Amino acid sequence: MIPEELKRTAIDLVYLEAVLLDERRWTDWLALYDPNCEFWMPMWRTEEELNQDPDTGLSHIYYSSRAGLEDRIARIRSRKSPASSPLPRTTHIIGTPLLEEGSPEHCVVRTSWSCHVVFPRRRDPHAFFGSSKYHLRRVDDGWRIFRKHIKLVNDYIPTMLDVYCV
Amino acid sequence: MISQALRQKLERCVDDRPDDGIFRIHRDIYTDPEIFELEMKLIFERSWSFLCLESQVPNACDFFSTYIGRVPVIVSRGEDMKIRVFLNTCRHKGAKLVIQEQGRRKYFPCPYHGWSYDTMGRNFTIKAEASGQYHDAFKAADHDLIQIARVETYKGLVFGCLTQDVPSLEDYLGDLRFFVDLYMEQSPSGMEFIPGRAVYTYRGNWKLQMDNGMDYYHLTSTHSSFLDIQAKRRDGKGNQAARQFDWAKRETQRGGTFLFQYGHALNWLSQPEAEKRPIWPVIEEIRARLGDLRAEWMLHLKNCIIFPNMQIADATSLLIRTFRPLSVDETEMRVYCMAPIGESPERRAWRIRQFEDFFNPSGFATPDDTVVYEDCQAGYQSGGTFHPGFEYGQGCERGRTIFQTSPSDLARQLGIHPTGSVEGGFELQQEMCFLSPYREWRRLMCEGLAQEEQQ
Repeated sequence: MIPEELKRTAIDLVYLEAVLLDERRWTDWLALYDPNCEFWMPMWRTEEELNQDPDTGLSHIYYSSRAGLEDRIARIRSRKSPASSPLPRTTHIIGTPLLEEGSPEHCVVRTSWSCHVVFPRRRDPHAFFGSSKYHLRRVDDGWRIFRKHIKLVNDYIPTMLDVYCV
Repeated sequence: MISQALRQKLERCVDDRPDDGIFRIHRDIYTDPEIFELEMKLIFERSWSFLCLESQVPNACDFFSTYIGRVPVIVSRGEDMKIRVFLNTCRHKGAKLVIQEQGRRKYFPCPYHGWSYDTMGRNFTIKAEASGQYHDAFKAADHDLIQIARVETYKGLVFGCLTQDVPSLEDYLGDLRFFVDLYMEQSPSGMEFIPGRAVYTYRGNWKLQMDNGMDYYHLTSTHSSFLDIQAKRRDGKGNQAARQFDWAKRETQRGGTFLFQYGHALNWLSQPEAEKRPIWPVIEEIRARLGDLRAEWMLHLKNCIIFPNMQIADATSLLIRTFRPLSVDETEMRVYCMAPIGESPERRAWRIRQFEDFFNPSGFATPDDTVVYEDCQAGYQSGGTFHPGFEYGQGCERGRTIFQTSPSDLARQLGIHPTGSVEGGFELQQEMCFLSPYREWRRLMCEGLAQEEQQ
């Protein structure tokens, strides 16, 4: 059994990630992830089926370590990326997280989410939505994400998609 | 009756005066709804369009659904194994018969009233026909699916045209085939798309994508954030899994463009990091099969436009991109990652990581291109003639003084006969490649309009 306190902090981490992305606190956001984390958002294989293996099918984003996320933040911060300047504004709405498996050292949290985005060039809002599955690992001062698997439900993309849109 | 004003509008869109060193594109070409409607009719209905790979419909009864311009079509491999292309619309009330992009079916039933067609397009059911009290005129009519006028394949690429009066696909591709072969012969077993594809839209004219896919001049400005990341990766920091190219090395390379008939052009750049190409581990097989010259050119970076709806980029990974005009200021993109059939799992994963890193609409480069198309559209949208010359862009100037229409030594070495070429260092970042698609645009639009006038 997972102690209530640990359960609460695991679920809080999911909410906290959304806040950090919406507030563009990139350093704090990266710190939620283990350096060896996997970050995976597969493409759909057909209208009804997601790709199941990042090494044989395409993904929107696939990283086998945090370095890929760090590259993304470097690009956003550079102010040299036209797609990231002005930076789209986002609001994440997070459905109540479900603790699927839990032990004091490892837990799995699932949630549904939507992310409302205003792209400065298009002005009108767009909502990306889907669900995510977090694998969290216990560290001294709380939890770290060591695997995040994102199912992007509407992957007909208006112009662009970045890591803060999901 | 076609107005004199329309003819003049089309003629001024592409201001082509080679003797004066002038080639200018009018901003109307990206923004005028009347021009867009004519493009659908005079370009997309009267040119070869890329539809799919043969390997997307390998078996009897496989289908793939796509568009030629705005017209929905089904590519169907019949039970007789022949590939046919039908308009994706029921003969009865017009409903699209196939919604899925890809699949396998023995027949195509209409979801509305149940009229059904086989994989050869033959209507075999008109629901409750016997009780329908149909007139003889209806019974005598042909109810089969409408086949498009021309379907041909080249090296596994399936093309279709809605009208009859086009050259054969081989003649249409012309000597661009030398390079198409280099894309399509990377494996002795043929080429396939990796499962999954990116579909995205942008608020801009389709020709903005056509232009960008051939534009090297923008790399160091639009993609400077990507080049910075590459510089960091060179020092062993950041995501190494993509095994991406070091553009600082490429900027020291030689490159150029070849122009071909019917609107095609190919840009190339020599390859300083052959070992970063996923075909490198099998290059000896390729050399043995195709010879040293073709193997060397297979490793080079090569981007081409196959006018009007397709680009192939063999730059970082190998992609096929199609663009579907939705309206004068909106375009849908489909981007696929192409790979040799039978590639080893390790090379396949490497290829996928390279593709995602650069070309995804969630990647490090494509989003920066796509938003810039929207900026161009917004900039062009104003129209107006209040400042002399304002209506024309200045985007086809680089490389003018070394542009040659006689065969270059390199063209002779490759055994090709381009209609024009430029060769130089990367820093040239030529824009002569745009002459080819826009000259073809002007030919099709002006000749097409003249034909309309005669009818």
